[in-house]
Formats: sequence, C-alpha cells, structure tokens
Amino acid sequence: MSAALLTVEGLRVGFRSAYGGMVEAVRGVDFSVAPGEAVGIVGESGSGKSLSMLAVMRLLGASAGATGGRVIFDGEDLLAADEKRMRALRGRDIAMVFQDPQSSLNPALTIGRQITDVVRAHRDVSTGEARRIAAEALESVGIRDAGRRLAAYPHEFSGGMRQRALIAMAIACRPRLLIADEPTTALDVTVQAQIVDLIAELRRELGLAVVFISHNLQLVAEIVDRVVVMYGGKVVEDGPVEAIERAPRHPYTRLLKACVPSLTGPVGPLTAIEGTPPRLGRLPVGCPFSPRCPDAAESCGHQMPPLIAEAGHSTACWRPR
Amino acid sequence: MSSLRKALEGLDWSGWLGAGIVGLIILAAIFAPLIAPYDPLALNVEDRLAAPDASHWLGTDQGGRDVLSRILFGARASLSVGIGAVLTGAIIGVSAGIFAAYKGGFGEQVVMRIVDGVASIPLLVWAIAIVGILGVGPLPVGPLLLPNEVKIVVLVGCLFSPVFARVTYAVARRIAGADYVRARFLQGASHWQIVSGDVLPNCLSPIIVQATLLVAIGIVIEASISFVGLGVQPPQPSWGTMLSDARSAIYSGEWWLPVFPGLAISLTVIGFNLLGDAVRELFDPRSEARTLVA
Amino acid sequence: MTGPILSLRGVSKSFPQGGLLDRLLGRDGRLVALDDVSLDVMRGDVVGIVGESGSGKSTLAGLAVGLARPTSGDVLLDGQSMAELMRDHAGPWRRRVQMVFQDTSSALNPRKSVARCLGETLALRGVPKAQRESEIAELLTLVGLGPEIGPRLPHELSGGQRQRIGLARALAMKPEVLIADEPVSALDVSLQAQVINLLSRLTRELSLTLLFISHDLALVRTLCSRIVVMREGEIVEQGPCLDVLGRPQHPYTQALLAAVPKGLAGRRSPLPARADAAAPETREDIHGAA
Repeated sequence: MSAALLTVEGLRVGFRSAYGGMVEAVRGVDFSVAPGEAVGIVGESGSGKSLSMLAVMRLLGASAGATGGRVIFDGEDLLAADEKRMRALRGRDIAMVFQDPQSSLNPALTIGRQITDVVRAHRDVSTGEARRIAAEALESVGIRDAGRRLAAYPHEFSGGMRQRALIAMAIACRPRLLIADEPTTALDVTVQAQIVDLIAELRRELGLAVVFISHNLQLVAEIVDRVVVMYGGKVVEDGPVEAIERAPRHPYTRLLKACVPSLTGPVGPLTAIEGTPPRLGRLPVGCPFSPRCPDAAESCGHQMPPLIAEAGHSTACWRPR
Repeated sequence: MSSLRKALEGLDWSGWLGAGIVGLIILAAIFAPLIAPYDPLALNVEDRLAAPDASHWLGTDQGGRDVLSRILFGARASLSVGIGAVLTGAIIGVSAGIFAAYKGGFGEQVVMRIVDGVASIPLLVWAIAIVGILGVGPLPVGPLLLPNEVKIVVLVGCLFSPVFARVTYAVARRIAGADYVRARFLQGASHWQIVSGDVLPNCLSPIIVQATLLVAIGIVIEASISFVGLGVQPPQPSWGTMLSDARSAIYSGEWWLPVFPGLAISLTVIGFNLLGDAVRELFDPRSEARTLVA
Repeated sequence: MTGPILSLRGVSKSFPQGGLLDRLLGRDGRLVALDDVSLDVMRGDVVGIVGESGSGKSTLAGLAVGLARPTSGDVLLDGQSMAELMRDHAGPWRRRVQMVFQDTSSALNPRKSVARCLGETLALRGVPKAQRESEIAELLTLVGLGPEIGPRLPHELSGGQRQRIGLARALAMKPEVLIADEPVSALDVSLQAQVINLLSRLTRELSLTLLFISHDLALVRTLCSRIVVMREGEIVEQGPCLDVLGRPQHPYTQALLAAVPKGLAGRRSPLPARADAAAPETREDIHGAA
C-alpha cells in the first residue's frame, strides 16, 4: 500500500460559542487519502465535514481551531506548521474550492488578475508567463476563448462558469490535492453534472487526489473511490464506494440512502430518519446517532463505538448489520 | 424580564460608567430645585467672581450667581433640548423611513430625496434662518406662549430626522421584503397591522442605538446655539450661555467660569456615548444566534 | 363545482431594466420572467413545478398566490380574476390560497413566539380569542409538534421545526390551495423526508390542492401526480408525473433527468479495483452530450 498523501489522525476541532465556552464540533476523526485517490466525505449539518477540511487547511479564524490530533500531508504535520509554510502549501500543493462561487471571487478584480495572483504567489514567473498559465487553466476547465475571458469580471460569468474559474484557480499550480467543499450545491442540476464531469476529467489528466465534501451520497458516488460518512463530529463509516452503496453497514448510512427519493422504483412515503440533527454541545456520551437510530440499544448511547476496520471497510457501530 | 437581566449582564465597565453618568445628570436635572444651594438667577454683586470655596463650591460668575446652581439648572436646558430633539427627530424620521420603505415606488423616491435635502442643510445656517424669521423671544402659538427652547427642539429635531429616516429606511426595506411580511399580507392583514406589528418592532434596535448617541450630539448643538446667542436666552442658565459669558475669563484668570460648564458638557457627552455604545453591543449579538454549518 | 380552482391564462411577467436615463435613451429592455404561460389546476391536484434558476417557477408561485400581478394575461381563482380580487387586498378571498416559503430564516418573524404568530393568524381568520389556544394546540399536533413549541422563538427551533411552523401558519387559514415554494430545499436530506411525508399526508387528509415548486425531480416524483417542466419563463412539457419522467418528450426534460445524480449507475471514473482481486468495472458513461 503506497504511502498516503494525506492522513488525518484523531483530529479534534472546537470553536468558541456565542455564549462562551468551547464547543467541540469534530471529535476525533481519522481517515486518509492516497495519491490520486478520490475520497468523498458525506454528512449533514452538525457532522463536522466542512470544519474538518477547513482545519486541515488551517483556514479557521481566531474563534475556532484544531484542538487535537495530527494532519500529515506528505510526511509533514500541517497542524504544527507555521503560517508561512501553510501559505506556501495552499494553492500550490493543496487547493480548495468552496460552495458559493459568487462570494469566493473578488467582484472588483478581473478573473485573469485573480488567477495570475495565485500563480505569481507560488512561482517566480513574469506577468506574461503567468497570464499564459492562467489562460491555459481556463481552457482546461472548459472555458472557451480563454485569452479574452481573462479580462472579464466575475459578474459577467454565470454561476457554473464562476465555479469553473475557481477550479481553474485551484489547479493552476498543479496541486496534488484538491478539496472541494460542496462545490455544486449552489448550482443548477445540469450545471452540477458538468462540474462533476470536469472534476473527474481533471483528476484523470493531472493525477489529482480529490476530497469531495457533500451531503449528497448519490452525487459523491459518481466520482469517488472511497466514501467517509460523518455524523455528529465523528466518522461512522469509511469504505470503498461500491461497498458503501451496495452494502452499507452503519444504520445512518443505510437510512441516508433510503430516505433519498429516487427516479425509479415505486412511489410511496419516503423512509425518514426520525428526530432532529445533532446539536453540538448536547451530544450523547456514546454514539452520536443513537438518539435517532432504530437499531439502537440502551448501551449505544453510553459508550462511543470505535472505528473498526474489516477488509478496508470501517464502521463505528456497536450493532452493525 | 429575563432578557433584561441577560442584557444587564452583558454590560461591561464602560457601559456601567456611561449609565451612571447619564443617570446622575438626569437626576441632577430633575431635582435641581431641591439640590441647588442657591437660586441660579439670584444676583449678588458683593460676591461676584469669587473663586471656588466652601460657600460656593464652583465659584460665582460676573453677577455673583452661584456657578454650581447654574450648572444644575443648566442641565435641564441641555437635557430637554437633547432628548426633545431626539424624540422629535425620531418621530419624523422613523415615520418617513417606514413610509418610504414600505410604500416603495414614487413615494419612496420623493420622501428619500426630501430627506437628502434636509440632511444637506448646515446647522448654523438653519438656526440663524429660523431664529432670524421667528426671533429669539417666546413664540405665541394660539393661547400658549412657547419658550425659545421649543423652537430649538423643533429645529434640531428636524435636523436629526434624516439620520433616523435613513437608518429606519435601510432596516425597514430589508424587513419589508422578508417572507414573514409576505405571509401576513397573504393572511389579509392590513397595512397598518403589518407596519405596527412586524416592521416597526424589528426596526427598534438600530433606532434606539441612534437615539442614545444623538442625545449627546443634541446637547452639544444646544450649547453651540446658546453660545452664539440664538438659543436659551439670559438670564436663564444654560451650559452654552455660561461658556459664552466666560469667554473673557480665559484672559482675566477666572478659570472656574469656563472650566465647569465645559466639563459638564464633556462629561455628559461622554456618558451618553458610552451608554450608546453599550446599547449597541447589547442589541447586536443577542438576536443573532450564530449557527455553524459543519 | 367544475372548472379548475386555479388557472393561468396566457400569463406573462416582466420587469423593467435600467433606470430613468436608460428609458430616456430608449434602452428600455425588460427582463422576462414568464412568457405566455397557461396552466389549469383542478381541485385536489398535486402539481409539481420544476425548473432550474431563471425558469420562472418562483415568479409563477408569486402570481398564483396573489402577491403580484401579471404584466399581461390573467390568473383566475375559482373562475374569478385575481386582478379584480386584489383590489380588496385584505379580503376573505385571501384565505383560500396560502403559501409555504423556502427560506426558514426569513419565513418567521424573529421577535414573535410561535404561539403569537399562529394566534395572530387565527385572529385574522376571525377565530374568537377564547378558542385560539386550543386551535393552536391542534395546529401544532397536526404538523407533528408538541405544545411546548408554543412559547419558543424561531431562532430556538431547528430548520425542520421552523418549516413545520410555516406549514401550520399556512394551514391555520384553512386554505383550499397551498403553494409550496421549495419548502425543503434548505433542509438536511434526513429532514426533507419527514416534511415531505407530512405534506403528503396533510394534502390527502385536508383535501388540499397543492402546487409544489422544486428543482428536485425525484422529490416531485414522490409527491406529485402531475408535473410541469419550466425553462426560461416557458412551460416546455407537462403531464402526468410518472409519464413525463418515464418517457420524457422534450429534450430539456431529458437533459434534466440525465443530470440527476444516480450513484454508482452514473459513474464517470472507473471503480477502483476491489480488494478481493475481481476484475475492475468498466466505465459506464451514460452521459452522452451533456
């Protein structure tokens, strides 16, 4: 097994709540990403999926931060690195794309300027060379007439094109890892399909590793190799995408699959997960899903189930099927 | 109310200091006749220009009148103008802002452009024009004889109205577009019910913050107008007229004549500013329950 | 009573673009949100209106519920012109059509407790004060919430709970037609199912006519008997839900269906080689010219 590109070990992330006191949103998360591998992180609100990756990138502000664990990227612990080192890594080795393309772009600068800024921050090239690289990046994400488009402002682009531009910005320096945090949630479904196509293609061409965060298991299953399912700040299941889709072991994963309406099959009442999403700071001592789990026993809520691996497929459950 | 208790817990030392100063000034103004050691208008030529001592804690002025008593009574003029102007401005401004935001269309443009016009008028030009037309004496309105202060209150109130109008307009516009207002509309609520029940209550926080800060400004404006002789007329005590009368004292060495009224103005303004800042802090984080998307 | 309960006849809605200067210079283009849309909704129908952004579906919802007037064409409520009815903007006709909104954070007044919000609504329906408390409790039970929710403020509730309150508020008027504008789009998947099941049950129990606006085809398929597909202000296809989704005629409908995520069936990358050394899957590419 080749050395992992990114290994997250026991990551804990907390933030200062509005009422004072620390709230732990990510409570000991482990997973890894091999070079060139695509991993999907699936979860709903309160799962900690976005916060985990923001902590990996050290993008959390003053009121939140990693409170424990290690994040090893290519042999280096990112949580121990200083800000200067992180700035060198961000954009060059690890890149991130966020959910809302509108707020991710500076409306007062041209697209070309924003991409060349990234290129020149990491590579010692002339302005002309940087523009060439930027145009190349725009071409590779499917924006035609890239040379002219460099002079366009974000508001002249549609939502889908903006997201493509952001992806271009992310891959301009050929990073090894691309983190996409709900990149298609704010987009129409036809555009969503195009963006997912694009990410899959770029992955092939550039040998990128991808971490794709989403609440939509069906979407994620179309392009990733592994799926990590999170709930209440913990990883509840981690396995190959086929196994997760065809034979999920954790009750939450099973129910998550079941409650999504499908375009085929019989029409009828949807399977629902009873109860409400986990509220940070008010989680049970044991399994975070136990209050809503139809298979839960009394003991499930008192003791945290460990993440047990079995042939590359891990589950954190006292009573998996 | 538990929310009031939580609110008071949120005040830090500057908020308490501001509240304390404002409280003292208000009490001084209300109870001036009981607290003041002397009649503020009583002339006593033998004791004129006396430095502060045991019998006159803050000294006496050119007419022998006790400075402390004049300051206590002067608080009345300052506060009544400050608070009166803010109330007047708020009534005019908030109504205009809500009307413009809720009605929209042509009415909105007309009202907001009028607000822009009033906002562009400089204070002293306004004061001189009004007082020039109406004179500085009491104003007969029907059977009543309104003192000059009322003119000042209305004048400064009009000057304050654009601030309230703009603040209210900005908030009310956002509210008027909110789904819950549409829902009320769909239920058949009348325009008045929607404005009084949904729009106005949600505008209150920024209005209250503005009001508290503007009282401080109103006090300075009153002092300025009285300083140039267009406000409270002698012999009535006002911090502004006291400063005006003390202009020559800077050279002749009767330091207590300008210092104490000046201190009174400064302290009051600081007090209201601290209180206003604390009030703004209170309203901001409380209503926003920040949720983090994980 | 025969005839559709809600009817749109040749409805267009456009908005003026630019300011006074543009108009003076003759540049008076208009943004067309709806272009000659006609739709009949019969009593008891559950109609899904689907489209992407810019399709005009939300504008259509606003016209159907009487929040705005069409630029041309007519909206009829049970045979009566909505434009006429809107002259009496607070009239009793308002009760017949109600709306459930998408954004739970702006759908409820942040300063009013749930009980006060529902109580006000009941007051407008003419319910005497003495009866209001019991009706509020009934409404809360109807949407699956307990009476302890009454004194809570919106920010103390979860998104799903707020949406249920929005539904309760709409139902408090005892409407005949309910228009739901993307009511679950802002909710977690696990909560969506809860609210959709609730909506389905209540529509049946209360014999409501439901107009369900969404971008989610699968959701519409679960809930609705008829579907209307919109694109850039026009209706491109409409008909019985299972028919249209099973055998789409219009290329746009086909494209929409093709774009819906399908999990493993929609793989774009080959599946990784399995640990038990079976042959890797070949790539299934079902997206032709996307």
